[in-house]
Amino acid sequence: MKLIRAQFSNFRLLRDLTIDFATDPKRPLTVVRAANESGKTTMLNALQWGLYGDTALPNGGEGMRLHPIDWDAEADGGRVPIMVTIEFEVTSIRRSPTGFKETRKRYRLIRSANEDVDGHRFNRTQSSVRLFALTDAGDTPLPQPEAVIADELPFELRDVFFTDGDRALSFIEADVAVSTKRDRVQRAIRSLLGLGVIKDAMRHIEKTAVEINKAARKLGGSEELGTIANRLDQIETDRERLIAELTDVRSSHANLDGQIVDIDRRVTAALEKGDREKLASDIASTRKEIDKIDVQLEAAVKEHAALFRGIDLARGVLGTALAPAYAKLDALYDRKEIPSATIPVLEDRLGLGSCICGESLSDDNEAGASRRRHVCELIEKSRQADDIQKMVTALYFGAKALGPSTDSESRAFREAFGAVVEKRDGLQDLRDENGRKLRALELQLDEMPDTDVANLRKARREFENQKERVKYREGQIDTQLSGLGSERAGLVERRDSLLREQSKGARILAELEVATDISGVLRRSYDRITSEELAKVSNLTNEIFLDMIGADPDQGALIRRAEVSKEFDILVFGPSNRKLDPDRDLNGASRRALTLAFILALTKVSEVEAPNVIDTPLGMMSGFVKRSALRKAAGLSSQLILFLTHSEIEGCETILDEMAGKVVTLTNPAHFPRMLVNDPGTPVRQVLACGCNHRSHCSLCERIDDETVASVA
Amino acid sequence: MSDKYFNPFASVDILVPAEFKDDFARYCQTGGRAVIDYSPFPRMVDLWFLAVCVAARKGLEPAEMDRRDTYKIIDGSIFSSDPWRVHTLMLIAIARSDEIGIVIEPRRMMNLANGLATAGFPHVIDMLKDGSAEPIWNLSEAIELLEREAA
Repeated sequence: MKLIRAQFSNFRLLRDLTIDFATDPKRPLTVVRAANESGKTTMLNALQWGLYGDTALPNGGEGMRLHPIDWDAEADGGRVPIMVTIEFEVTSIRRSPTGFKETRKRYRLIRSANEDVDGHRFNRTQSSVRLFALTDAGDTPLPQPEAVIADELPFELRDVFFTDGDRALSFIEADVAVSTKRDRVQRAIRSLLGLGVIKDAMRHIEKTAVEINKAARKLGGSEELGTIANRLDQIETDRERLIAELTDVRSSHANLDGQIVDIDRRVTAALEKGDREKLASDIASTRKEIDKIDVQLEAAVKEHAALFRGIDLARGVLGTALAPAYAKLDALYDRKEIPSATIPVLEDRLGLGSCICGESLSDDNEAGASRRRHVCELIEKSRQADDIQKMVTALYFGAKALGPSTDSESRAFREAFGAVVEKRDGLQDLRDENGRKLRALELQLDEMPDTDVANLRKARREFENQKERVKYREGQIDTQLSGLGSERAGLVERRDSLLREQSKGARILAELEVATDISGVLRRSYDRITSEELAKVSNLTNEIFLDMIGADPDQGALIRRAEVSKEFDILVFGPSNRKLDPDRDLNGASRRALTLAFILALTKVSEVEAPNVIDTPLGMMSGFVKRSALRKAAGLSSQLILFLTHSEIEGCETILDEMAGKVVTLTNPAHFPRMLVNDPGTPVRQVLACGCNHRSHCSLCERIDDETVASVA
Repeated sequence: MSDKYFNPFASVDILVPAEFKDDFARYCQTGGRAVIDYSPFPRMVDLWFLAVCVAARKGLEPAEMDRRDTYKIIDGSIFSSDPWRVHTLMLIAIARSDEIGIVIEPRRMMNLANGLATAGFPHVIDMLKDGSAEPIWNLSEAIELLEREAA
């Protein structure tokens, strides 16, 4: 999908504005140049409202005024018509007798709503949307415009296609729970891959299996079959209920995590003043230290468990139990029965026509022929024993590591275990020490005469308690589900066996098996697509990110690589594979570059042709990183629409010369006389557009330069 | 594993009596969500293999598997990444049968190993339970003792 044109009418500052977007694949960049308060964010919201309605507005549009703030109800009427019109084109590819055929279809989408204004109050009507197919024959209205939009720009991917520099950081920001960030990344990736279709199919197959089970119940002939079918029905109902409850409980868990993180942030903010600053910093560094130790402890425990799958364990346990086997192998070796080399030697002698003792093996005389027959018999016998010899030879040489041990090998398990004990105990002591330190610091904090912080901490404890209860319930549901799963497996086995005994049962059984097989295939496809595509997104994110920030791992750059992990975390690594916290250890420019790289990689991997509309993406960036991020983004996106301030554009003019197919400048007349040179001459608050590009200005958009503004201020 | 190596157990099933199903669920991390200190074995095959080794070490008679209600935990292809385990099973089979020729009979060797594992499970479970600490520590100490006794 590509945006062609957008028209805005009475949408906040956009009273009457039309923007054309670049659609040339060689110059896919549209730049909307605008200073602060000149309609950039408004336009981003307006485009999303046009496509998705109120749900796309901040807080679902609740209490958000859309009409211009200075609307004169007395002069212009109390009802304000608000309208956004978006023209776009969609490329579709279909098979034709001569190969693949690409067709482009153009559409016009119109969303409108009315706001009834009464003083400071207003009431917005439900918006209505219409979609027209634009053809040479005219405009044809289409049913279900939402479905077309959902196909081309799914709502779940709104954060990928429409974002701003700050909101893009939501994929990595530290102020939300890990689970929330993972959920955002996961949702974006899964939506992009269109996995909803497979999910729907899985649900359909599950329902089908339930129906087939009902058919089994109706089969009659066996009371037990009926009882089992009833119970299976009940189990399915219980499972559905429990799965729904588990989803709710997990969502509550994530919410509580978010609230706890929020309180921590507020407490930290409250403490970051005056004498409390040191305490806040001590608590934060102790928590960080504890987190670090917890990671090391977890690794040490895994190391401990790994002892139970190693060769040292087998050697330690077996002791001398294998000695009789080694004695047998050694005896074979001493008798030169291994390694097996008899056949090649004998065959060699046959070929030469003489024995190793010098006697002839020729068929020309009787003695030679007799010796030749004897050698052939020896070869045949050796062949029969050859399979065993091959295995035994491989075993003799391959199993040396398990053989009679040296002194150090005989205590290898003890030594490895000793090292693990030392590590675990040492880390546990450290953990306890830091835990005590943290509790003491928190106590100091509680005793501070700051009721606000004390209350926040009380609320935090309450949330922690709630979280414990939620986790407890999660565990209970998990256990119940696991129990139902086991019971179901047993019942299914018994039901299948009963069905086999009946003639009509065979068909039902076959249907059930088909349903189970299809369900398995869908599940495996779902998992496989997810993991394979995730790896692609991860690799491309890394490539784009390192390019954008100019990091060359071979030149000793601090940032070595970025990765989207299997757990859907966006991670960054430094030297020695040290994990960096994207939100804390990266500067503002790198953080924005990282999230931009992720968004661009997602769009690219999905092979979806869709616009990336980004508000102020280059803020906090400068120099090389800014230019490189811009060039990379314009090169990768099929249509890139950037809302840039004048300072973001500074230094990037040559890139815009090369890649920008359209540039438009927006001006807010209210900036005269402080920031604009000329009076735009309009009495109402509204954003005006002109065709000036990144290198030019006109009487409408000419600005007083920053230094002059500063000196006047 | 190198290309030269051949795993004779690749298509042979590893079987466990149904009566130990709960113990496997309890002491193995398979299936996730496990607390390692209470479920020390990374995989089910690790518990099975330890039981084989313990039975071999203690000279236990292999249990009769034919008439038991068993279930498959995995097949022998899992040993492809650990050739030393294949060697161990072959050496145990030679030591127990006193026949070199057994090495070309993977099913017979696996039947013996399954029987030994079944005989060894109660001992391994005792090792996990005996002690005042979590199973991982009880087991580690029991193995340490076995190794010390062998030295």
